[in-house]
Amino acid sequence: MGFTENIAKQFDSLEVKDNATSTVRKNALSAFQKLGIPSTRHEEWKYTNIKSKLNEELSLTPVDSTVNAAVKNYIASLPPYAFRLIFLNGAFHPELSIVPDIKGVTVCSLKEAFSSHPALIEKYFGKLVNYNEEHFAALNTAFIDDGAFIHVQKNVQVAEPIYIQYFFTASDVNAFTQTRSLSILEQGSSINLAEDFRNASNISVQYNHVSEVYLESNAMMDMVKLQLEVSNAIGVHTLEAQVGRDARFSAATVTFSSPNTGTGNALIRNNATARLVGEGAHADLNGLYFGKENALIDNHILVDHVSPNCTSNQLYKGVLNDESTGVFNGKIFVKPDAQKTNAFQSSKALLLSNDASINSKPQLEIFADDVKCSHGAAIGQLDENALFYLRARGISKEQATKILTYAFAHEVIEHVHSKPIRQFLCDKLKDELKVNF
Amino acid sequence: MLSIKNLNVAINGKQILKDFNLEIKPGEIHAIMGPNGTGKSTLAATLAGKEDYEVISGEITFKGKNLLEMSADERAREGVFLAFQYPVEIPGVSTTNFMKAAVNAKRKHQGLEPMDAKDFLKLMRDKMAVVEMNKEFTSRAVNEGFSGGEKKRNEIFQMAMLEPALCLLDETDSGLDIDALRIVANGVNKLRDAERSFLVITHYQRLLNYIVPDHVHVMYGGKIVKSGGKELALVLEEKGYDWIKEEVGELAG
Repeated sequence: MGFTENIAKQFDSLEVKDNATSTVRKNALSAFQKLGIPSTRHEEWKYTNIKSKLNEELSLTPVDSTVNAAVKNYIASLPPYAFRLIFLNGAFHPELSIVPDIKGVTVCSLKEAFSSHPALIEKYFGKLVNYNEEHFAALNTAFIDDGAFIHVQKNVQVAEPIYIQYFFTASDVNAFTQTRSLSILEQGSSINLAEDFRNASNISVQYNHVSEVYLESNAMMDMVKLQLEVSNAIGVHTLEAQVGRDARFSAATVTFSSPNTGTGNALIRNNATARLVGEGAHADLNGLYFGKENALIDNHILVDHVSPNCTSNQLYKGVLNDESTGVFNGKIFVKPDAQKTNAFQSSKALLLSNDASINSKPQLEIFADDVKCSHGAAIGQLDENALFYLRARGISKEQATKILTYAFAHEVIEHVHSKPIRQFLCDKLKDELKVNF
Repeated sequence: MLSIKNLNVAINGKQILKDFNLEIKPGEIHAIMGPNGTGKSTLAATLAGKEDYEVISGEITFKGKNLLEMSADERAREGVFLAFQYPVEIPGVSTTNFMKAAVNAKRKHQGLEPMDAKDFLKLMRDKMAVVEMNKEFTSRAVNEGFSGGEKKRNEIFQMAMLEPALCLLDETDSGLDIDALRIVANGVNKLRDAERSFLVITHYQRLLNYIVPDHVHVMYGGKIVKSGGKELALVLEEKGYDWIKEEVGELAG
């Protein structure tokens, strides 16, 4: 029996029996049954043949989540963040987590929220993702078992970052692990959030993540998504943020495909959408990606300007080595009411090998007449004059290449607001490039 | 220090240097003057090891070693320094990090450990004083948004940091106002010693009022056509380059 046939059976075997999500789950399941896994005939998946990469038999039910040494070591290597949530194969591990205990802030597992906060779940869960069109969001919404739930009350501001760590250990090769977070920020509240995805085994893992973010008026969220050392991972990420009046959403997605395990069979797809629904809202959707070996890193991003006087920036930078492939699709939609929109997009890629490639496509659809929109795309090599300048000071060609690549990439990290996370990323970037300053 | 014999160099198939000869001894300052397009900057770039420059024939010996066998970065680690005519902007790399990488590359070459942070900062402070450089420069990206004068001062600062044996100054004076010229020239003069040699390439005599050379050479058509002492620069300032062209023309005719 194939995957699409037995999906209903897998759905019936799910343990989640809460009432708050049952309707949306059923709707998402029937949507997925119509959509299936996309092939390259689908316009949005033209360059990313995920169908051929995913196992044919996908198991969506939770798998073993025993903590191994790799998980413990990585947790020990993390900076001492005040708050952290640890997930293993989708399941929350409270014994490894440090949950904030702040008045007006609720941080718990999604599983707990399904039963303890049914009103919020019914109002917000699955309401942002477009599961009627998005294959993987539909699958996730139907099958999600656990995840992170964050609710911040009006005017509560949390300065210390909340660090969510998702580990994957492929105990079952067919496992397609579903992870998810739901963040609800009431008026005037603010948080810094990091979501870090990591393969803690030396065999291939498959996962599918959804982040839903609601920012009410004047709320602020600085979000970082880390996909570090994702060789041996097939990961699909869907981020949906709804940004209210005068609210500010900033996301940076950082993908490093360091070949620490050797097969370099990485496929990462990021769908990131910020919808500016309130007047004066702002969104930054930034990204940095390093491809190695035969990794494929695909970023599909959309800023949807629905209301007037909103601003947005998209800054994506890629460094592609070996036979890696990058895909960049950057959409800016300006709806008829969104007058005085100011939207900017820039995509730059460095191709450091003759066999590396990038498919880059800006897509602007503007239906208002008084707007400022600009986009730019550049694909190229390192500046020869800059390389010579560094070498003329005694720096080897290899080191000079690394320094200039660091400089190229660093611009994205500079935009991360949270200082400890910025510093963490800076260190990761230095490790990745082995620059010695 | 430096010996160039019968050097022929082409770029993009066009020959620029023709049987060029020059001998520089330790501690000497040589100035090379000449009209535009005569091969002065080609000489500097060839000595620094820029790859686009094709050495057709000839020899360059630096401190007894064959310079032509070394890559650009090896030459620099051996003690050749080129102060660029057009210093390159490197967004995203601070001057501090740039110099840390350069100083430690040289130290590694000499078999020394990387410099510790405290000593490095002290070295930076000392050398910034040589060109009256403000502390804030070091945290800014290399040359990014610098004025012409600031860029040239940064070149001399880097020279002071790396303590080279042979300093090549490629039109370091061009585009500088008199104050910037004075600061740059004072910086160079502070670095003069009995072991360090300089090759100062310039179009104008003005710089040589501040950096007084031991020898002045006039370059024309890819080679040195006239050599003399510092007074030759004054003659050139007064009479221009036309008489040189005529003399060379007569010789050729």
